Amino acid sequence: MFDASQKSFHLMFWAMVVVGIALFFVPAFIIRPFRYQSPGALHLALVFRQLAPVGTILAACGVVGLTVWAWKAASRLRKILMVGAAVLVVGSATMARMNYFEWMFHPVQQPGFEKADDAKLDAGEMVLTVSINGDARAYPVREMAYHHIVNDVVGGVPIAATY
Amino acid sequence: MWKRSVGGRVLHFYLAGINNQNFLMRDRETGTWWQQISGKAIFGKLQGESLELAAFDELSFALWKKESPGGQVLAAVARDQKKYESKWEDEVLKLPVPVSFPGTALKSRDVVVGLEMGADARAYPVDTIVKQSPIQDRLGGNPILVVTGPDGKSVRAFISRVNGNDIELFRKSDSKEFALIDSEGMGEWNFKGCAVSGPASGKCLQELPAIKDYWFDWRNYHPETTVYRH
Repeated sequence: MFDASQKSFHLMFWAMVVVGIALFFVPAFIIRPFRYQSPGALHLALVFRQLAPVGTILAACGVVGLTVWAWKAASRLRKILMVGAAVLVVGSATMARMNYFEWMFHPVQQPGFEKADDAKLDAGEMVLTVSINGDARAYPVREMAYHHIVNDVVGGVPIAATY
Repeated sequence: MWKRSVGGRVLHFYLAGINNQNFLMRDRETGTWWQQISGKAIFGKLQGESLELAAFDELSFALWKKESPGGQVLAAVARDQKKYESKWEDEVLKLPVPVSFPGTALKSRDVVVGLEMGADARAYPVDTIVKQSPIQDRLGGNPILVVTGPDGKSVRAFISRVNGNDIELFRKSDSKEFALIDSEGMGEWNFKGCAVSGPASGKCLQELPAIKDYWFDWRNYHPETTVYRH
């Protein structure tokens, strides 16, 4: 049995805090829109992203568990530090489950279509077009520059229109 | 534009990240990470797989409508309609460039049409295409035609070869309507690359995927690319 002042407790507690935070924040830092991402850095980010869903939950449970366990014996300062760390790790675990890129660019849940004659587009407006097995589709670039991906089936063939 | 079946399995993609101003997508079925620009799976269960390209064009609405009667247009999503930017191209110009290639022939945000033939890649600045259309060029040992449509802004690229013979195409000068004629007198050609009269009537040139892209992005993924100039 070890008490809250022991070295091993601190080591375990803060190691879980660092892992729990890093699993979300490292990939979030690397996969930023306007910064150059080398293939190596991108790979590292994706490895972290892969581990994050399970890793952040384990870290959050560990940190919260140890905080509760050590609560009575802890000084006031220590309580504040532990609660602060627990909040960050729980926040990290929550964010690791969110797709904030879809907060910025809402996905098209169910693509709707209208006849070319009914579409209110300017004659010169650019559209991405595809024609498969006699089925013709146009995806206005203005819409695609916002949504970026539309999962569709054209002429019986499943395609992803991307821009 | 990609076909989204891999090994007989249909995938559904969603936006999952932004990488050097291209986006990363994941599929709901396996969680694999894909690069939109290349269609390649870069991480996860399907790593190493590639999506098959679905042939597509970037055309003006009026031109497409005329070519494809009965076609369907993606409807605006009501909730997001206000966020569609009609001047989005101007907005993009203000964004920083994540990777640049100083000393190359073009500026980072110059728009090019990129073509690939085997190991060869070439960028055709859109300004040049619009001025010089039709452009007749050679790439990877093949005769290449890069041409704007009757609207003066839609671009298509073809291998200008018919029955195994290389041909050159020119704008038909004595015609108000858009038409191309060729060096071998095979006939008159439309913007779809199909002969509408003459001996070749009914035949179509093979169309090439013509990717419209910013120079920095094309150059980043095609380090060996050359730039068309004449």
